[in-house]
Amino acid sequence: MVDLTTILAGFADAFTLYNLTFVLLGVVLGQFVGAVPGIGPIMAMAIAIPFTFGLDTLPAIAFLVGVNKGGLVGGAVPAILMNTPGTPDAAATALDGHPLAKQGKPLKATKMALFSSVTGDTFSDIVLITVSAPLAILALRMGPIEIVALMIFAFSILTGLIGNSLTKGIIAAALGLLVACIGQDPENYTPRLIFGYWDLFDGLPLPSVAIGMLAISEMLRRMSIAHGGKMKSAIVDMDTGNPDDKRVTFAEYWSCRYTLVRGATIGTILGALPGIGSTAAAFMSYAMAKGASKDPASFGKGNLHGVAASESANSAVVGANLIPLLTLGIPGSVGAALIISAFMIHGIQPGPLLFEQQGRLVYGLFGAMIMANFVNLWVGQIGLRFWVKVVSAPESIIFASALLLCIVGVSMATSGLFGVAIMLIFAVIGYVMSSFGYSLVIFIIAFFLGPRFEKSIAQSLALTNGDLTLMLKSPVAVALLVMSVLSFFWFMRKNAQEN
Amino acid sequence: MVGLSDRISGTFFLILGLTMYLYVNPNYIESVDGGSIAPRTFPNIISLIIAVCGGVLLFKPTSQKTPDLRSVGITAFYVLLLVIGLFAMSKYGFEYVAPVLALAIMLAIGERRPLWLTFGTVGIPLLIWFLVSVVLGRALP
Repeated sequence: MVDLTTILAGFADAFTLYNLTFVLLGVVLGQFVGAVPGIGPIMAMAIAIPFTFGLDTLPAIAFLVGVNKGGLVGGAVPAILMNTPGTPDAAATALDGHPLAKQGKPLKATKMALFSSVTGDTFSDIVLITVSAPLAILALRMGPIEIVALMIFAFSILTGLIGNSLTKGIIAAALGLLVACIGQDPENYTPRLIFGYWDLFDGLPLPSVAIGMLAISEMLRRMSIAHGGKMKSAIVDMDTGNPDDKRVTFAEYWSCRYTLVRGATIGTILGALPGIGSTAAAFMSYAMAKGASKDPASFGKGNLHGVAASESANSAVVGANLIPLLTLGIPGSVGAALIISAFMIHGIQPGPLLFEQQGRLVYGLFGAMIMANFVNLWVGQIGLRFWVKVVSAPESIIFASALLLCIVGVSMATSGLFGVAIMLIFAVIGYVMSSFGYSLVIFIIAFFLGPRFEKSIAQSLALTNGDLTLMLKSPVAVALLVMSVLSFFWFMRKNAQEN
Repeated sequence: MVGLSDRISGTFFLILGLTMYLYVNPNYIESVDGGSIAPRTFPNIISLIIAVCGGVLLFKPTSQKTPDLRSVGITAFYVLLLVIGLFAMSKYGFEYVAPVLALAIMLAIGERRPLWLTFGTVGIPLLIWFLVSVVLGRALP
């Protein structure tokens, strides 16, 4: 499908000094914000997207991928030093990382987290590069009928897996689809639900909704917790004096090889499925490492295998998340949804056609991802000592600057304060939804998929002359619909048992 | 009270779904002749799904905790601060409002150290101005 010349040209694009600079900037920013409890890579990606408008597509995407990958490494720093994960993904890392820090080995723990993260990430990137092109060929054989069935299946999985209530998952997805209806009707191009605001004719701006829901709503929550209180919890002392406590030897790394491979495999498999996310992968890998250990009692007391299991799994999710995104155009996580929005902002529609129409860009992205892993390792080796200082930055300054950046970023992306007002509205919606236990991840993914879903339904109806029973003539669509129904009932039963 | 949170949100979504289906969609979506799917069909189906699921939550709530009213109040205060800040920005511009907004947020969070307050009030808006206006060459709001 993609010839060798295009593949090599794509990789060559990634390795130019210009693109590598943006990978480096992304990784540095990602590790920095990951180390700051309260921001994290997702919020940083959301804030950074508007600032990438002026860039070409490859450096913009490479920068965002760098932020995401760097953020996972940085997120381990506060988890280990303060027992306060910078990102939810790092929560499992804190289980053994923080006890190691308390034993006077914080640098050993953070370095093990760095090596494990890069190992898991590289593993899943290799899987992504290997399987995505053949999967895209398969996906290209799908027509609108199969795409509708596939999206119904994706929604059935997302609503069942995320959160603790299937009903709430369906409501979050339906709300996302309803909000996506604002603007032009995709078939007749008539205005819908714009209430006289012609600024809404092209639909709600992606940056406003994404930044409002993901960044501002989370900041509001954290600001309400930090309000008038103490700024930081105690950080463990770094200075132990013993050089062995500050490094990870090759023997120590090698002794974790099975844990690392197991973690990377779990992260890759879970990452390829929409909606599960890196936190679940980290905890599952941790539990399996503990189960496989000859000394399970040492877990939770400062076992390097615990750090390796968690970090290799949560980082492996990042690359694998792009498998459904690049092959089917379905984002499997919020990070992937943000990357999809960056693609769309640059006029590129992710999906199976991407390999045919933008093969060079895709392989450029793959090259940038591989380079980001090496840069992550390099920056981490140098930067870990600095990120330790970042952990102690006051939240007041972090939130004030992040809010101002969001306002400026959205204003730039939407050419005015109207987009900023929408951002604020969605921040409030996001805050209320998450306070009542509704998943923002499902909402955002449904919002992104909404127009394509509706357009595929319209195309399916046109193809079948309105007779939806003709859908049953497609074996792929039937299989997907049957799987959707089965998963729906399975999740419903699981929910009933849990409640 | 167990289930109160879901009963509140369930009632809201039941009313929202029905309002969208019965009032908003018919009045704010134009009808078109022809085409394979009417502009109103998809929003109508979605609205009904929201209403039905809201009803299900109302009668079969989960054990979701009710949000802490104090946190909600504090969040409302920050939202109000941002609304005032945005309104002032639309009148006077980012350069004048951003330092005041940053100072207000920092003070509200509890920051009292003069050095950090000065950095947040002067340094951060200056850095943003440099990044956006000088490096990127774009206009500030």
